[in-house]
Amino acid sequence: MQIGQFRVFTFLLLSSMLIFLPVKYAMANGFSVSDSVTNNILMSQDKIRVVTLFQGATDSVIALGLVPVGVVDSWGEKPIYDYLSHVLKSVPHVGLETQPNIEAIMMLKPDLIIGAKSRHEKIHDQLSQIAPTVMTDNVYDFKASLDLTAKALSEEFKGKQVWKHFQERIENLRDGIEKSETSWPLTASVLNIRADHLRLYLQQSFSGAVLKEVGFKFPLPNKTGWGVKLKTKEALPSVNADVFFIILHSSDPAVRQNYNAWRSHPLWQILDAPKHKQVHKVDRVAWLLSGGILGANLMLDQLYQIYTIPRFGR
Amino acid sequence: MSLLYRNTAFKWGVLLLSIGCLIFALMGSIAFGQYAIPIKHVWTAFWAFDPQSIDHIIIRTTRLSRAVVACLVGSALAVSGVLMQALTRNPLASPSIFGVNAGAVFSIVLFSTFFSATSLNTFVLLAFLGASIAGLLVYGLGSVGKDGLSPIRIVLSGAAITALFMAFTQGILVMGQEGLDSVLFWVAGSVSGRDLDMVSPLIPLFLMGITLAMLAAPHINILLSGDDIAKGLGQNILFIKVLLSVLIVGLAGGSVALGGNIGFIGLIVPHMVRPIVGYDHKWLIPISALWGATLLLCADLISRFAIMPEEVPIGVTTALLGAPLFIYLARRGRKHG
Amino acid sequence: MDKVFSVRNRLLSFSMAIRSVWSCLIVAACFVSIILFSLCLGEQFISLPRVLIALSGHGDQDVQFVVGTLRLPRVLMAAMVGAALASSGLVLQSMIRNPLASPDIIGITGGASAAAVCFLSFFSVTLGIIWLPVFAIAGALIAALLIYGLAWNNGVTSMRLILVGIGVSSAMGAITTFVIAASPLSTSITAYIWLTGSVYGTDWNDVEALFPWLFVSWLLALFLARRVNTQELGDQIATGLGVSMQRLRLVLLFLSVIMAAPAIAYAGAIGFVGLIAPHIARCFVTRSFAILLPVSALTGACLVMLSDLFGRLLFQPLDIPAGVFVSAIGAPFFIYLLYRQRF
Repeated sequence: MQIGQFRVFTFLLLSSMLIFLPVKYAMANGFSVSDSVTNNILMSQDKIRVVTLFQGATDSVIALGLVPVGVVDSWGEKPIYDYLSHVLKSVPHVGLETQPNIEAIMMLKPDLIIGAKSRHEKIHDQLSQIAPTVMTDNVYDFKASLDLTAKALSEEFKGKQVWKHFQERIENLRDGIEKSETSWPLTASVLNIRADHLRLYLQQSFSGAVLKEVGFKFPLPNKTGWGVKLKTKEALPSVNADVFFIILHSSDPAVRQNYNAWRSHPLWQILDAPKHKQVHKVDRVAWLLSGGILGANLMLDQLYQIYTIPRFGR
Repeated sequence: MSLLYRNTAFKWGVLLLSIGCLIFALMGSIAFGQYAIPIKHVWTAFWAFDPQSIDHIIIRTTRLSRAVVACLVGSALAVSGVLMQALTRNPLASPSIFGVNAGAVFSIVLFSTFFSATSLNTFVLLAFLGASIAGLLVYGLGSVGKDGLSPIRIVLSGAAITALFMAFTQGILVMGQEGLDSVLFWVAGSVSGRDLDMVSPLIPLFLMGITLAMLAAPHINILLSGDDIAKGLGQNILFIKVLLSVLIVGLAGGSVALGGNIGFIGLIVPHMVRPIVGYDHKWLIPISALWGATLLLCADLISRFAIMPEEVPIGVTTALLGAPLFIYLARRGRKHG
Repeated sequence: MDKVFSVRNRLLSFSMAIRSVWSCLIVAACFVSIILFSLCLGEQFISLPRVLIALSGHGDQDVQFVVGTLRLPRVLMAAMVGAALASSGLVLQSMIRNPLASPDIIGITGGASAAAVCFLSFFSVTLGIIWLPVFAIAGALIAALLIYGLAWNNGVTSMRLILVGIGVSSAMGAITTFVIAASPLSTSITAYIWLTGSVYGTDWNDVEALFPWLFVSWLLALFLARRVNTQELGDQIATGLGVSMQRLRLVLLFLSVIMAAPAIAYAGAIGFVGLIAPHIARCFVTRSFAILLPVSALTGACLVMLSDLFGRLLFQPLDIPAGVFVSAIGAPFFIYLLYRQRF
């Protein structure tokens, strides 16, 4: 029995030592976003070959006047959003945003790859071996995406111009709404209608961030994060706001059915926005999926339309 | 305690007490929720309905439908569990552990992803289909081999089939990344979001199933003593077994169609009730039904308040409540085996 | 009686049927050919000679990159994960004496999934994705300890172990679902892909981290082979033959966890390999553990590699997680085996 005990003991000892292997690799291999940008600034070239691995990056590259040589599939209106389709008509796709095909990227021989840490951290090393790679922290912060893209393409001046133009439009829009709406600032609820529940988007979401810049306020002031999922109609009073922006998640009949069910409920009808007929349907791609500055501009276009303010700047 | 089994008056007492508890839980479920409603409005909502009052409308639409669904699903799952434990003579049988729920979920997810089905009746049929296939697979898988249908074998085959269908459901999720959340509803369970007019056609079906089970109770009692004895006593075993299987699949499938994958109710409730009323299914079935409904109503209350304004999927609550109980029973050994 | 091939020395002493040895060699040949196939096929087809040249470190830089950095680690990871899960399943099936056991049932997958999903939802922003395997392994080990501890009631019987395992798995599954439902949007897709199982994005670090686990545990499994064979005869006979059942059960359970946990940690919760691969192996060889182990491992490896290959090829340029195809291939096979009543 002594040999057996010895064996068991060695075995347990060895296995507990093995757990240190992944820890060792973890500690040796972190990286930071700022490092990757400073190492990868390229001289501005007319025909620079960029591959973008998330929607916001695709949007930002096009906003800066360039066309990527490879993009990932869009989340809706597949394979690429309508507002970008004329620019990206003949551009090949490299797979999904969540799992882009690295071989396909390599075959395009890019000069620069733009990704997002939250999605592509794992493949950063492999991508760096193909081409200089930069990554944003997340996919929804469209200002950060624009800044990073501009810096990496050495188009910082252009980037600042694009942003300045956007800011001017926001100022103009805010003035216009303030003039026509007496009770500014208004609260806004961005509601995404899905097949079996609703989602309310707050400040840390894409549309929330844009609305915040314009000056809208949000319900649930103590809540941080992207938003909440609403499963029961009893939660409606907590999302009360002066205006509702409705995004229908898809053309699935279940979504329509769900929307009608929520709309016809008495709790909906006593809320401020439905009472004052301030419920507006908005475009899913611009408000939810684009993640980039061009999409944000489209959002502003729709807001101009909703508040019947003469369009500025586009 | 065992002497009390024979005392019919005691069992009537338990039955009445169970009905009382259910009514209490029902009232609690209707009275409490995210939107605070004074108790007296709850009362007047039913006796003096005012169509202009928001409180009354909430009570009669959202809260009531939720309570009704919870009652139906809870009782159906509990009765399904009782029948399953009788049929397999295995005290650890339940629709969620034996893959019946998983099969129902899979067929619903499959069809709603590729064929865009939305009507509740379609779901019930799909659930029934999926549940039957899963049940057959588990039974088949458990019976082959040299030892036949032993308890450990059927538990393992149930787990294997559950894993199978869950993996398929997962696969569909990943391939169609858009529909992540609607599928989550089915996988995790929820009793809200159903309109009463959608649900009411199904109420008679559920009641019929439970009534049939109660009518079959004497036969189930005989079946429990073993196949040979039952045959000797003149029972048509095959017919009874098929009937029970159909009832199990129907009740479990219907529950999944209404509320998604809710586990452990079918397991726990019979174990709670049996020590009190014994093995006589004439009492076991109705009292289990009542307690199943009560338990699910309580779980729903917890789900509502844990992370306001969001809700915990009710399948999660029942699993977190039921798993420790299940483990406790497993540790104790199979006293009822 | 079959012709046998035997080895007898101070360390090892075993014999196996010639037929089994042939089957083993054939499976090994399949294994190697699938590896080569996987290296050749992909977004661009690279012919076999060029693959071999690239592997030896010469030739076109691009081809070397594709073969050496992209495809080879991924294929090796798929092979190791498949082998590890299959071995883990085999060990469990022998210990429980039931061919329907698998690492998923014993709660390992559940514990790893819950830990991984918690990490992805709450810590991945602060810590970096490279810590995911650590969390997953820790989760699996904790779950395994919990299950063993809860199943202990003056010793552990297989029945109690399975039941407690199912209970703990259900609780872990509930936690996983809850965390996914409550997590920020962008991580829920990542979590789902992890739960399905994928070897996408594997690099050499991962392969190097996983290999030692497997090597050590396989060695140990081979050393224990004779005892495993003996305990299949039943508790009483085995005790009579000098095998300490409680200790063996603990060691085997731990062995199974040690094999499965890192595999799941690096590739996600791939299911079914642990269940199916030993079954397929049993069709080819005798029931002796010493020969079943390598054949199951190779079969499991082939299964996962094939699944990954399909995932890469079928919907180009999309990269479907391997776990989807493991279920798709494994399940019909399982039902076919059921039909043929092959256990």
